[in-house]
Amino acid sequence: MSEYLQAKPAQQLLEPPEHTATEASQPARHQLPRLLRRPGGIFGLGWLALLVVLSLTASWWIPYGTNDQQLSAALQGPSAQHWLGTDELGRDLLSRIFAAGASTLGASLLTVAVAYAIAVPLALVAAERGGHTETVISRTTEIMMALPGTVIILAFIGVFGVDTVLIMTVLGVLISSGMYRVLLGVARSLREQLYVDAARVNGLGSWRVNLRHVLPGMRTVLAVQAALLFGIGLLIQSGLAFMGFGPKPPAPSWGAMIGTASQHIYDAPWLMVPSGLVLSLTVIAANLVADALTDPEEAPRTARRAGKRAGGAAAGPAEPDGSGVLDVRDLTVAVDDGPVLVSGVSFRVEPGRVLGLVGESGCGKTMTALAALGLLPAGVAVTGGALHWQGRDLAYLDERHLRPVRGREIAYVSQEPMVALDPMFSVAYQLTGPLRRLRGLSRAEARDGAVSLLKRVGIVDPQAVMRSYPHQLSGGMAQRVAIALALTGGPKLLVADEPTTALDVTVQAEILSLLRSLVSQSGTSVVIVTHDLGVVADLCDDVAVMYAGEIVESGTVTEVLDAPRHPYTKALLGANPHAGETVTPSHRLTAIPGQVPAPGSWPQGCRFRDRCLYATDACGQPVALEAADRGGTVRCVRATELAVAAAHPDERTPA
Amino acid sequence: MSTTTAPADTQQALALDVRDLTVHYGRRSRRKPVPPAVDGVSFSIAPGETIGLVGESGSGKSTIGKAVLGLQSATGGSISFFGDDITHAAPARRRALAAQLRVVFQDPYSSLNPAMTIGETLAEPLRLMGVGKAEAARRARTALERVGLPASAAERRPRQFSGGQRQRIAVARALVCDPKVVVCDEPVSALDLSTQAQVLNLLADLRDERGLSYLFVAHDLAVVRFLAQRVVVLYRGQVMETGAAAAVVEQPRHPYTRALTAAAPVPRPAEQAARRAAREAMGIGAAGLGTPSAAGCPFASRCPLATDVCRAERPALRRVGDSDVACHHATD
Amino acid sequence: MTRFLARRAAMAVLTLLAVIVLTFALVHSIPGSPGAVMLGPGASAQEIHAQNELLGWNQPLAVQFWDWITHAVRGDLGTSLTGGNEVGPDLASRLPVTAAIAFGATALSGVLGIVSGVVAAVRGGLVDRFITAFSGIVVSLPTFWLGILLVYIASIRLGWLPATGYTPFTDSPVDWAKSLALPVLSLAIGGAALVARQARASMVEALGQEHIRTLRATGIPPWRLLYVHALRNASVPVVAGLGMQFVGLFGSTVIVEQIFALPGLGQVAQAAVTSHDFPSVQGVVIIATVVVVVTNVALDVLISALNPKLRAA
Repeated sequence: MSEYLQAKPAQQLLEPPEHTATEASQPARHQLPRLLRRPGGIFGLGWLALLVVLSLTASWWIPYGTNDQQLSAALQGPSAQHWLGTDELGRDLLSRIFAAGASTLGASLLTVAVAYAIAVPLALVAAERGGHTETVISRTTEIMMALPGTVIILAFIGVFGVDTVLIMTVLGVLISSGMYRVLLGVARSLREQLYVDAARVNGLGSWRVNLRHVLPGMRTVLAVQAALLFGIGLLIQSGLAFMGFGPKPPAPSWGAMIGTASQHIYDAPWLMVPSGLVLSLTVIAANLVADALTDPEEAPRTARRAGKRAGGAAAGPAEPDGSGVLDVRDLTVAVDDGPVLVSGVSFRVEPGRVLGLVGESGCGKTMTALAALGLLPAGVAVTGGALHWQGRDLAYLDERHLRPVRGREIAYVSQEPMVALDPMFSVAYQLTGPLRRLRGLSRAEARDGAVSLLKRVGIVDPQAVMRSYPHQLSGGMAQRVAIALALTGGPKLLVADEPTTALDVTVQAEILSLLRSLVSQSGTSVVIVTHDLGVVADLCDDVAVMYAGEIVESGTVTEVLDAPRHPYTKALLGANPHAGETVTPSHRLTAIPGQVPAPGSWPQGCRFRDRCLYATDACGQPVALEAADRGGTVRCVRATELAVAAAHPDERTPA
Repeated sequence: MSTTTAPADTQQALALDVRDLTVHYGRRSRRKPVPPAVDGVSFSIAPGETIGLVGESGSGKSTIGKAVLGLQSATGGSISFFGDDITHAAPARRRALAAQLRVVFQDPYSSLNPAMTIGETLAEPLRLMGVGKAEAARRARTALERVGLPASAAERRPRQFSGGQRQRIAVARALVCDPKVVVCDEPVSALDLSTQAQVLNLLADLRDERGLSYLFVAHDLAVVRFLAQRVVVLYRGQVMETGAAAAVVEQPRHPYTRALTAAAPVPRPAEQAARRAAREAMGIGAAGLGTPSAAGCPFASRCPLATDVCRAERPALRRVGDSDVACHHATD
Repeated sequence: MTRFLARRAAMAVLTLLAVIVLTFALVHSIPGSPGAVMLGPGASAQEIHAQNELLGWNQPLAVQFWDWITHAVRGDLGTSLTGGNEVGPDLASRLPVTAAIAFGATALSGVLGIVSGVVAAVRGGLVDRFITAFSGIVVSLPTFWLGILLVYIASIRLGWLPATGYTPFTDSPVDWAKSLALPVLSLAIGGAALVARQARASMVEALGQEHIRTLRATGIPPWRLLYVHALRNASVPVVAGLGMQFVGLFGSTVIVEQIFALPGLGQVAQAAVTSHDFPSVQGVVIIATVVVVVTNVALDVLISALNPKLRAA
């Protein structure tokens, strides 16, 4: 998915793109609009604004004085005279509630201000200095966080009496420790951003780095936490007033009003409604504002997407043919109600062959590979074509029917070995589980099986690795374990998504050798996704070059790499610094102008034509994938013509 | 320890001179002594020259860049900028240095502040130098045009640009105040192949145009080979081999450099098959095999040539062929 | 693991020490004196001074502090200024009530919260939206208001449970449970909402991790994926959250005990604060801190057992 999100076409320079890979980490530039786009945000902000206005202007509009008693009208429900009823002394509840508003809200704001005055500078300093400074600050706040807050505040009241300013200040101090923890995390990750380093290289002083580059990035978190904290302040303040530690009677306070209501619960249950509702609504409003400011994380529903694919019903012959051929026909993959990511991709993987899907980010190669396992990300689905495998069409199998295919028949190795294994379980657990499930082994047999699998992937001390947890493994070791995991079910086909991209080059060579030996020993076929033509040359038998969601050229590796026919393949080879036999500093690399167009903005006709040095008017028409002169296929109207021209090296880089 | 130095005629005015640089990360604990991230590294860059620092993860190459930029404090050794010791430069000195010593970082996504417009980002160093607002904006637009972006890009924010475009902006930020030395920390490793070539060509053109010196940090020897005149190969914080780029890449003398060059696959199937066979015949130990002793050669645990002396004694750099090599056994 | 736990245990001792110093400083920084509180407003300055002398109030602070600590270690927390009874035994007799409410509420909110949070994360869609919205509202309701509402509904309207009062467990376990049901419920409802939100977030995060895809690629049955792997990954933050929950609920018992007239620590605390009975206030603070600190250490043991990274450290 990230591959799709990262791709940005040149023409989008002029209009703001919808998503980028880093959007999530960006501070909200348009906080208010986003806040107002959510119903909760509108309600929360609206109620708070109304409350503030009504409270601040209370002295002008409230119908009764806060202490106007009318004992004959005590404990009444709502009426024309008293919209919200009256309390035990016949005082008007509406008037008392809003007369108490300003001081109540102000006291909560005081808590927020105190907590921020302490937590923000501490978090910034700790994140900047690190080391001892951070340790001292963090340990101190850990102690503060472990204090029983409510009881400490009661102790202060016991000693100094009811002093709202003091109480709310102490609360702010106590809460600042928790706030510090939250802010430290954010400040730390912001300081890891390279633009902070860039600012330091610019010579920006420590204060200004924090003010210009760190603090603005914390805006959203600060706003969210302030809203939450404001709600907590209200609750604690009212709770104390409820217990009798609020403003001295007869001064009104929400908590004390609820306290009074609790004494009249038998004779006047209505009494608890107005004050309780106003308090609750205010806290709810604060929390809604906080929620609306936060990006909601959608529940992924990974395991329950069965039947969502187009067509839905399982189709095709149910009889496995056991041939071990993966035959992909006109595969189309698209975002639900969104752009097409892969269109009309066809290829065939024979048993024991290694196919490389190669291309740049955003070309759809990963989506193509994941489709074979039914592991497309949520919101992305196969919308056309077929994936024939062992007599079934994988494109239309539901989750339940895919499960027996995964692991047993088709296995998967992912890009990031360090996160591909479950960090909470030992290697032994993660290997023996599938071995028992997929091969029906006993516990002891599975253990032996796991050890021999680890040996097979070239791990020298399998017993030690069995006991290890993923965080104790190096990247190369983790990838070996991940490959062992993929082999647990004895698959006929291995789908590997950039299995060496995250690794160092010497480790990459080791993993490639391992994959090669596995293929030659077991006859497993492999589909490997990579952006590196060198990896293709090393490991693959066949290659399909993808560009903007379609295959532009395919064939055996020698056909495609030694005699490229598509201008994109040629350009990729030209741009590869490893490709030139005698690249010297005086040479220039063959750069491809522009960049891969994003899904949804592919040009009509040949999708490469905007960047192609050889483009003509004919390229505006859709181009078919046709047989190439040297074998394999190519999708270019000028392929033959250019193949002839390639004999003349002078024309390698036409202007 | 012997060092790589620039040719004699430029000796008097080295753009950058790094001597015995050592960097320790974190607190030193008595329980487990952590080996330094950078361990006695020396090299220098003449004006207009490009030096490539090459190594895999954990080699300390990026740390060296950070130490030169003052983003990481050095534990030992010295760094001089045109003869001026800047190892522990005070903030005021750093600010003055900022115009001449610039950086292009690896990750184009996090190296631009998403909350600031491109214009603001580019003007920041100029404003700090005391350049007026209008002049700073004008120079920002000029720099943008030089890296192949429209001047109007100054009004936009980073998220409106692709990775390759952002990296051009990062290059513009480095150029905007006429630097003498630019530290390029893996400037193309996050980019796609076609964009990578665009940025590499741009860096090469700018260097030729303005006589810039680059400290070019990368994990990919071929990329470094494209830009650098001289190469320093690092492993676990130590210099393994250093010399002219052509010599190091085409005739690597150190077993580690050989492992590194042999491991990089080339996109020509027949040649790659031969290279792979040659690599497998070399008998290089798997990465992470054994723990190297602090006293000996850091590569000894993986090295096919290793003998007892390699595990006991750290080899000094010595001349082998056209390069300086830290190996007891390297021969012509 | 031992290093981690040793560090946390040291933190616990430091926390306790910090609280002792804080309360001691508080008590000694007030304008009044214990003699004045004991003898009431009618007493003369001389009488108050004599009383203070008797209590050791006029001795150097360090002596008083040492004196207090050495007694406290033996469980002697001094004498109440208002009732004249021993603070230690009095509080000890009330701790079970408060502890029962706090533990009960934590357990109930944990079960309700984890189940609904996990359901929201796993089912997604409408179920998720409903649980998220509902918990967002419930979490904002003031405990004391919820308590009154529960009394009104469950005891006044429906007559199912007693509104107030406490029956000791030894008298009648059934009545004991009934007397605690409403207090526990009024604390647990908001608590459950909080746990649910956290459990949902942790579960969603766990399900979004890359290794989930690797696991699915091995054809793992969905229940195993969800309830062994994802849940296990979500467990560490959820358990940590439950610990904080207990600490918070323990504090909230003060209010609940007042609403339901329960003879717990909170009742003492409220009375002592109102009457400036410092030894009792101090005693409550110390006991509350001990409970919190012990809970935190227990939690650290649990978390370090759950998290392989901490186990190995």
